[in-house]
Amino acid sequence: MLMIAGVIVSVILFGIGLLGMIFRRDLIIKLLSLGLVNGSVMLCLVSLGSRANGIAPIIRGPENAGYVNPLPQALVLSAIVINFAILALALVFVMLLVEHYHSTDSQRIEHEIKREREL
Amino acid sequence: MRHRRIGLIIYATILVCCFCGLVIVFFSYQEPARELGTIYLSRAPSETGAANIVSAIYLNYRLYDTLFEILIFSVAVLGVRFYLSDYREKEIVEKIPESQIVRTSADLFFPPIFLIGIYLTLSGHLSPGGGFSGGVVAGTALLLCAVALGANTVGKRFYEPTLRWLEWGVLLVVLSLPLLPIVVDRLPFTELLPPGTMGKVISGGSIPIYNLLIGIKVFIGTWVIIHYFMRHRGEI
Amino acid sequence: MTIIVLLPLLHFVFAVLCLSWQRGTRGIIVAALLIDTILLGVLFAVLDQAGSISITLGGWGRNVGIELVADRTSLVFGFLTLFLEGSILLYLWREHLQPYFFMLLHLLLGAVFAVLFAQDLFNIYVIMELLTLVSFLLVGYGKRPYQIWASLKYLFLASLGMGIYLLGVAVVYYHAGTMNLGLIATQLTEQQDTTWVLLASSLLVTGIAVKAGIFVFSLWLPAAHASASPAVSALLSGLVIKMGVVVLLKLAAIFPLSGSLLVLGSLTGILGIIYAITTYELKYMLAFCTLSQIGYLLIGIGTGSKVALSGTLCYAFAHGLFKGLLFLAAGSAIQATGKKDIRELIMERSNISLITRAALLIGTLGIIGLPPFAGFCGKALLNAGTQSYVTQIVLALLSFGTVVSFARLIPLFRFEGGGYLPRTKSLSFLILALPIVLFFPLTHLFVPAWQWQTSLNISLFIKNLVVIGMGILLARPIANHFPHLEKRFFRLEEAAVVILSGFFLVFLLLLFA
Repeated sequence: MLMIAGVIVSVILFGIGLLGMIFRRDLIIKLLSLGLVNGSVMLCLVSLGSRANGIAPIIRGPENAGYVNPLPQALVLSAIVINFAILALALVFVMLLVEHYHSTDSQRIEHEIKREREL
Repeated sequence: MRHRRIGLIIYATILVCCFCGLVIVFFSYQEPARELGTIYLSRAPSETGAANIVSAIYLNYRLYDTLFEILIFSVAVLGVRFYLSDYREKEIVEKIPESQIVRTSADLFFPPIFLIGIYLTLSGHLSPGGGFSGGVVAGTALLLCAVALGANTVGKRFYEPTLRWLEWGVLLVVLSLPLLPIVVDRLPFTELLPPGTMGKVISGGSIPIYNLLIGIKVFIGTWVIIHYFMRHRGEI
Repeated sequence: MTIIVLLPLLHFVFAVLCLSWQRGTRGIIVAALLIDTILLGVLFAVLDQAGSISITLGGWGRNVGIELVADRTSLVFGFLTLFLEGSILLYLWREHLQPYFFMLLHLLLGAVFAVLFAQDLFNIYVIMELLTLVSFLLVGYGKRPYQIWASLKYLFLASLGMGIYLLGVAVVYYHAGTMNLGLIATQLTEQQDTTWVLLASSLLVTGIAVKAGIFVFSLWLPAAHASASPAVSALLSGLVIKMGVVVLLKLAAIFPLSGSLLVLGSLTGILGIIYAITTYELKYMLAFCTLSQIGYLLIGIGTGSKVALSGTLCYAFAHGLFKGLLFLAAGSAIQATGKKDIRELIMERSNISLITRAALLIGTLGIIGLPPFAGFCGKALLNAGTQSYVTQIVLALLSFGTVVSFARLIPLFRFEGGGYLPRTKSLSFLILALPIVLFFPLTHLFVPAWQWQTSLNISLFIKNLVVIGMGILLARPIANHFPHLEKRFFRLEEAAVVILSGFFLVFLLLLFA
């Protein structure tokens, strides 16, 4: 049950992130939506390994308690670092663009670049 | 123009809702295949000697993925350094008036946070933690200092070439450690150190070594990113 | 056995060495080239005896550790990487580049080798993310605003695609319990209730298609490949795009993708050609052509017969060579004259050196499929590999479209006058041009003899010549009377919406085909 709820919430967050990326013009908000999209996929992965009354997979004694599945958590660790790297570099590029065009509006930047290309 | 815009809004909203609905409906919530998790849970303590099974997975069984992840992190740090390095520093910087509270608490909290970072790095095989989280915590301690004292003041305490040598040296060691078993005539990526008894500080094969190396690398990388961002955009 | 692991890891070690030892970067890349040649030679000898070799890292077993497999596909693309590496090295010999650039180059090559051997879904995710980041940084190396915007668009769309791919990996892991491709195949044959395969394969294919250069998904491609510097464009268009196709090849061996790949391939081929005919900027035309040539490869994978798969490998190799050559030559032509438009280049052709124009000629002859150059062998094998008439008509149509779009370059090829070109750049063109010209004997190494005899006969020869002739004759009228096309789809928001629509397209294709 927890798993199904986790999957549904993560897909809804994915949709919200997608809508944010498509409709908001501000580049920083597009970045945040990209982070939300990646985060929702990580949530989906972790919730797939969960089980009812599960505890963290750190072995404290010889008894076989209900540990959750450790593999998705290892995958999500890598995905978090990758997400961080993408957001950092995208932020640097957004900063460079804002220095040049003095606006964070994506449509305005596209318009200016098209104008410079035709000149 | 407005017709096109409204059309795009309606079309995209319908598309995203259909996408979410499709994924939720077609997921087919039958009984999952649980064997993979239980295989790791039963094999890992005796084969690797680590109590933290997640660490055992990403630093022992699936070390290849972690290598690429470290490379991605290094590329991010490299990219930030390359693109923000030739901007002249903002001379006229509006500093927020440093309140005495921030300075005193920075003095008070920096050592414990740094120690927590070191503890997380070194005990990654016994409890939740590991190189990545420990390095980030230690880097955040430096961020606290940079907020209180100023990024340039903190940056002057580090000797830049040493930082670079350490960073690239650690990366070189992390990349060549898995290739070391070739010299001893075994397959690459095999464990050379014994697993030891689970639960002791010195156990887990070469997992603590990898944790330490990754911790150093992430700490230096986090500090570099924070430093270059603060230098370029001015103080917070 | 350990070669499979050594090839990527050594490149990464060289990358780190480049940055620490800044005066020896050119020596390091020459050493890397030599070591690559030796290792690939040994791999070729080993694969000649055994069909494919595999290694599980750490010796843990397939279900617990990560497995790497080397087979004929990886060998073919390995040799392509070798040729492109050598030619780019010579092209960039005299330029002033920071060691950071060479480090990114080594990381790119190491990641390309790693994809060729990968057999694990999450491993492919991590390596493709490394490829995305490194190529994004390489495109934005020049720090000009249009390059930065093109690479930012690339990063957004590629991350979105990889997010969708990771969602697919989550679905596969939940139902199959493993991420190893071989073990998933066994699970698919054993399980009774396989309704999840539909969602999983459509998510995975959509994710990879964003990076593989399929038209509906890769709308970032024209801007990114046209804004980058020439050597980077050659690498991206010739090599990195093929990695997406390699992953699709690995996925097509397990999931039932053949019908949908056929339709997607035809769609991308035709749409790419339509956009290429109406563009007059040289680099944009080459980028649209790349989008359309990927259609050939997808049709080959979708057909699935052995001859068609050989044709795909053959054509991928040939396409990497001549697209690399075309981008390098176009780059030096644009640098010599300072103009980007084809018509202006034709007017100022006396400034472009003779060798650059000869390189453009060889590249054009290769891409239009003139026998016996490189493109012809691949196209002939693809034609012979399929029995249905519809596929053959689509292939002929794509050939015709390519000839029409490249026939506008013909006035460039009058060999008189010419500017100056440094000797290293001429050598770099030579490295890529020689295999294109001598392709006929080279393919004997990759293609078994019986496929050779069944596919290359006189009728295909004549069919190709007829298509080329018709294309050249009808080029001018078609280009003048073509309708004006929507360029709005290449902006960021519309591109994301088109990717989502593409997901539904793939889903419906997998449902009904």
